[in-house]
Parts: sequence; C-alpha cells; structure tokens
Amino acid sequence: MEIHAYEKLWLGAALLLIVGFIGTVAFGAVGAGVDMIDDDGGTVDPGALDQHPKFGDPGVYQSGPNEYDVYVVAQQFQFQPGTAEAIEVPVDSTVTFHVTSADVIHGFEVVGTNANTMAIPGQVSTFTVETDEVRDHGIVCNEYCGSAHHAMEGTVKVVPDDEFNATDGGA
Amino acid sequence: MSTDTEGESLARREPDTARPEPERPYGYVVGSAPDGVERELSHDEFDPVGTLTLIFAYFVILVVMWVFMYFVEFLGRGLTVVG
Amino acid sequence: MATFVDRYPEEASVVKACLTVAFVSLGIGAFFGLVQALHRTGVVRLFSSVDYYTVLTAHGVLLALVFTIFFLLGLFTWAITRSLERPLPNIRLTWAWVGLAQAGTVATAAAILAGFVPDIGVSADVLFTFYAPMKAHPLFYAGLAMFIVGTWLAGADWFLAYREWRKDNPDERIPLQTFMVLTTMLMWYLATIGVAVEVVVFLLPWSFGIVETVNPLLTRTLFWFFGHPVVYFWLMPAYLMWYTILPKLAGGRLFSDPLARVVFVLFLLLSTPVGIHHQYLDPGIAEGFKFIAMTNTMFLLLPSLLTAFTVVASMEHGARQRGGEGRLRWLGALPWRDPAFTGMALAGLMFAAGGFSGMINAGMNINYLIHNTLWVPGHFHLTVGTAVALTMMAGSYWLVPQLTGRKLYSRPIGLAQVVLWFVGMVFMSNAMHRAGLAGVPRRTAEPQYNSFDFTTTMGSIEELQLQIAVGGTLLFVSVVLFSFNMLASAIEDPVETPVDDRLPAPLSGADGSPRVLDNLRLWTAIAVVLVVLAYTLPLASIVQDAGLFGNVPGVPMLIGNFVESLAGVIA
Repeated sequence: MEIHAYEKLWLGAALLLIVGFIGTVAFGAVGAGVDMIDDDGGTVDPGALDQHPKFGDPGVYQSGPNEYDVYVVAQQFQFQPGTAEAIEVPVDSTVTFHVTSADVIHGFEVVGTNANTMAIPGQVSTFTVETDEVRDHGIVCNEYCGSAHHAMEGTVKVVPDDEFNATDGGA
Repeated sequence: MSTDTEGESLARREPDTARPEPERPYGYVVGSAPDGVERELSHDEFDPVGTLTLIFAYFVILVVMWVFMYFVEFLGRGLTVVG
Repeated sequence: MATFVDRYPEEASVVKACLTVAFVSLGIGAFFGLVQALHRTGVVRLFSSVDYYTVLTAHGVLLALVFTIFFLLGLFTWAITRSLERPLPNIRLTWAWVGLAQAGTVATAAAILAGFVPDIGVSADVLFTFYAPMKAHPLFYAGLAMFIVGTWLAGADWFLAYREWRKDNPDERIPLQTFMVLTTMLMWYLATIGVAVEVVVFLLPWSFGIVETVNPLLTRTLFWFFGHPVVYFWLMPAYLMWYTILPKLAGGRLFSDPLARVVFVLFLLLSTPVGIHHQYLDPGIAEGFKFIAMTNTMFLLLPSLLTAFTVVASMEHGARQRGGEGRLRWLGALPWRDPAFTGMALAGLMFAAGGFSGMINAGMNINYLIHNTLWVPGHFHLTVGTAVALTMMAGSYWLVPQLTGRKLYSRPIGLAQVVLWFVGMVFMSNAMHRAGLAGVPRRTAEPQYNSFDFTTTMGSIEELQLQIAVGGTLLFVSVVLFSFNMLASAIEDPVETPVDDRLPAPLSGADGSPRVLDNLRLWTAIAVVLVVLAYTLPLASIVQDAGLFGNVPGVPMLIGNFVESLAGVIA
C-alpha cells in the first residue's frame, strides 16, 4: 500500500487540527468556564405546570444577594414571562434561567448572546448567566413550534439596580 | 474497478477508432478530458505539490477562522452560560 | 462501443426510474425553496405565513430525503452493476424496492401537500425532523416507513449481487465502487435503526391514537441517532463520484484506492455515534455524553480531510497529464468547459467552506453561538445543498447519457447551470451564515420582530436579505436549466457512443493494501460497538427520567390550531 509522503504529512496536520479543536472546546469549558445545558434541571409534568411551585407562577425570584432565578414557560406562541411582560433582572447579578415547555418543543434564544437553549416539554433547561451591561435583549423561539412560530418573541431587560423592582415579572 | 481497469497499461489511451466521431457534437464534449492527455504519469512520477500547497492554504484558513470564531465571536459575547 | 444501457437494459431502466423521481422532487423542492427565499426576506409573499411551514416541510422532505436518496438508489444500482460487471440477481426484487420507495414517497408527499387544503383535514406541517409532540397525519409516518424499508431492500439487493459475484471471484478484492456501496449501506442499516424505532414503536401508534403520550426527548434523540448519519448517506454518493468519476473527468486517475477504502470504513465506524451533537443545547442529556459525541464528531472530520487531499491530487494528476505545470498554474489545464467536471470541482470547493461551518457546529460550547440560527441552514446548503446536490446534477451530465443512449442536449447550458448554482449559493449561504451570527433564527416565516432589531457587525440585515433573495432566485433558475437540459436530452436521437464512459484504474491500486480493509463483518461489528458505547447510557437515562412513552400528549399541526392560538396570544 503506497501512501505518498505528502499525504502522510496531511494526515498528521489533520489530526493536529482535530486535537486542536477538541482542545479549544475543552479550554472553553474549563478555562473560560462555559457550561453546557445538561440534565441538572430535572423533569416536570408538562400537564401540571400550574401546580408546580415555581412554574405555576413563572417569573423572577430572588435567591440570594445579587442572585436571581427566572422561571419561564414556553408555549404556543409566547414566553411566560417574556412576551406579555418583559423579564426584568438587575445588572451585575447572577441569573439562573429555568425554561420548560407546556406543549411542543420550543427554543429560547436571547438574541445576539450565547444564552440559547431548547425548551422540551417534560424537561427543565437550567443555565446561569452574569448580567454585566444595562440593555434590552430580544428573545426568540428558534425551534419551529407551529403556525405562528414566527410571532413568538419576548424581551429581557437588564436594568440598573435602583430601577429593579422585584415584584415585576413574577415573585 | 471495471472492464477497462487492467493495470497500468497505456493501451487504454490508444486512439479509439471505434468511436463514431461524426455523431459527436462540435466543441467540447462531456467526459472527454482523457483525449487531452499529453503524457502518462505513474504514481512514482507524480508529486502532488499543487495539492499540498492548496491543502495547506486551507489548513491556515481553517486555523485562523477557528481562532477568530471561537475567541472573538463566541467568547467575546455577552451573556455567556457559566453554570 | 456499447454503453451501460446496451449492456444492462433492465438495470438502466431501474436507474432511470430512480433518477426521474429524484429530478421531479428536485424541481418541486427547488420551487418551494424559491418561495421561501422570497417569503422570508419579505420580497414576495405568495402564501400566508402559516402555509410557509407546509412549503418548508415539503422543501426539506423532497430535497433532503427524496431527491438525494432516490439519486443514491439510482447511482448505487449503476455502480454495483458496472463494477461487478453483472446484472442484478433478481430484477423483480429490484422493481419491488423501487415501487415501495416510490409509494412511500407519494404517501408522505401527499400528507404534506394536503396541508395546503385545510378542508381535506390531512396535514403534516412538522418539517423534515418531525419532532414529537408535534403530530402529523399517520400517512406521513407510514409513507416514511415504507420509504425506509424500500432502501433496506435496495441494500439487500446489492448485497445479493455482491454474494453472487463473490461465488465466482473468491479471491478478488471487492471492486472499489461496490466497496463504497456496501459500506454505505451497512452504515445506513445501523443508522436507520433509530428512525425505525422512533416511527414504528412510538410515532405511528401515537398518531393512530393507540398510545396517548410520547417522551419528546427520547423520540428526538432517536431521530438524531438517524439524523446525523443520514447526512453521510447523502454525502457518500457524492464521494463515490468524486473518487471514481471525477479523476476521469479531470483527465487523470484516482490517486489512491486503499485510502478511499479507509475513508469509507471510517464513515461506517463514526457516522452514527455522533448524533447527540445536534442536541448540545438539549436539557436531560449530561455534559459528558455531549463531550463524547463531540470527540467522535471531530474525528469524523478525518475521512473528509483525507478525501480533500486524495480528490484534489487526482485532479492535479489529470491536469499534469494534460500538460499542466507549476505550483498552481496546473489549475488552468483542467477541463473547465466540462460541466460534469466543473460542477463537481465547484461542489468540492463549497464543501471545503461548508466543512468550516460544520466544525463550528460540531464544537460543543461554541454551538451556543449559532444553534438553530440561520447559520445552520447556511451550513447545510453548502454541504447537502451544494457538495451533494451540485455533484449529483453535474454527475448526471455524464451518467444519464449512459442510461438513455442519448447524448446530452447542451453542454454550454450545463456549464452555465453549474456555475449559476455556485454563484447563487455563494450569495445565499454567505448571507445565511452572517445572519445566523446576528441571531436570526432558522425555520421561520418572518424573521422580523416587534420588540427588538437584529444587529450585524458588518453590513446590514437588508443587505443580507437581498443576498438571500437573489441567491435563491439564481439557484431556482439553475434548477430550471438543469431540468430543461435533462428533458431535452431525453428526446435526442439514440447514438452508439453518447459519452465516454470508461473509468481508468487508480494510480495506487487495491492490491498492495491490507486485506482486512475488505473485512466488512469486522468493521460492522466495531461500528455496532461504538454505537452501543455512545448511546446506551444517554438513552437509558432519558427513559429513566420520563418513561418510555413519556407523559406528553400530541399537538396536531393543523391550521385550525392557528386561529385559536393567535386568539390566545392576543387575549
């Protein structure tokens, strides 16, 4: 079996590239601290979300100094909260989102950021972000969820501390 | 691979008198590149130096683009998932 | 000099039957693609945005499943027959699988297209991923099942042909094209287990109302068990053409037969235990499983990177035989006037670009950046939409004359067609990638929102929309030219030698390579083990969390839903 020297060289370079990619991603996870959506959120009964202690009254809950939990229910074709009323969180805080779906599979994407997850009925997606800038973000459903999928949107407002009112958007 | 794969023989390139030229359309014909062959190059006579050049250019593009996408576009963004 | 149709008239009819279905699907699917490109960008809206999703489902199913796979069925039938140099063992079996796959296609297409006429009460607006608990009409799932079984029987037919050949040739190496067909089908058998279980065990009984609920994460995971390897099922016909036909079209010979075998073995091994990389942002799957899927995926780059070298080297060999010189000047000695060559070469170039965006998709955490944005369809319009589709169209210019005994109607129109596809896709996919980085979602009828605007780092959203609309239009014109050329070729007068159909031997043949490469049982066994390792624990944990049949009732995708739901949103 003849393998040309150049081809062997390229095989080595290709392997280097692959290892480099895996290494970068591992660095992102360990060095830069990017965490993946995983099975931490656990499961819920999508037919009984209204009896859930948090999803029954979705919104923003303070869980510690500068720490907040945001419970969001995605359903055809709105985020609750997010669509009818904006999700409001203070700047320079640690915010943990808990997202689930009441009907079909949806997406929850904070536009232009890395906060992006699937919302699957029966499963809870949990992820934490740090808010570092006062600004409004759009939210879109980025998984096709039915005939008015394109109308499913919302807003996250990162507001200054003194404007934050814990009673808005839940709790 | 098939009927005409018998080894390295140059016989494959012999003028094909059976080919009915008049029925062919004018101009270039699909699949006729072998007619333009001026010389036969065996495996040992052929160094794919052009391929090596192209593929390393690709390699460099991949590395630069990856670094840009990962460290600037991705890690440079707000609201990154940290937990 | 006889060509394929003279030697194997029955098989030629089978191949023609498959390609006809492929090209009809291509035409309809491309029209729907144009409708979408113009609708999304707001240029022309022929349908309501509700019907957009019917159009999108039909576009995805007709192009990604029907066009590609029917072309594969035809191409592989041709490749098996010509490389084993014998007719298929039982032509009735052959026609049986053709008929079954066609019937399944008609059933699925009917279920989708019925969505345009609400009065019929049949609808399948579930897109080609058909994630539960969105529920389609049972006809949709039943048609899909028939289609898949048709492909299984096709594989069985080809394996029987190989067995007959092996009886007469006990010591020979498997001919390269046959090797490619068999390894691809082994990969396909393994991969389709996922979708078969999903459809037959869960979705079909559920759509008939026999089972009330589903576990959406389980059916989704089973879908992607199949959904990633299916992309290699699209790609392997293109690889077969790049390895065995393109070198000839370039005036050269395949650089290395053994490396081609290594590449196909790697695809058999690694195509399936990677599907979870489509689920990086899914809850309910532990990060460790996602990391394993990523590692497998990244190593799956290897066969494609090796292919890039071998195929380009084969082209370079052709160029140098044709008198090409210099480090890069030889590129000018390639037969650029040949649409079959140029189409495949441009398809390969686009695949190199698509390879890069695929590397981003495959990166576990960088996936947050682009997950479910327009970047993703931007990526796969380079891969399946160009590397595969353009190679198939280009290959047809050389292949179809062998099946009909008639020469191609017009080479220049063919050349214009492949170049137009390339240019159209440069516009469209470049804009889709960039729009994706701005956060524009995929699969949406109107990516324009009330509460915010998308911001781009370079250019404007309007410019990107324009590129998508222009690109989509060029692509549609390209398909019109292709269809016209194929139709016009069909009514040419038969000639003795419609095309030069000879394929030269590789520069480095199979003879010196290890025989273990041809040990299909061994590779299949390893592939099964890798799948078991990658999927047992994730599937077990998904079933443990929410049960085999879950607790989520179905949500039928019917238009009637829309009015109620909209009322709900407004209220």
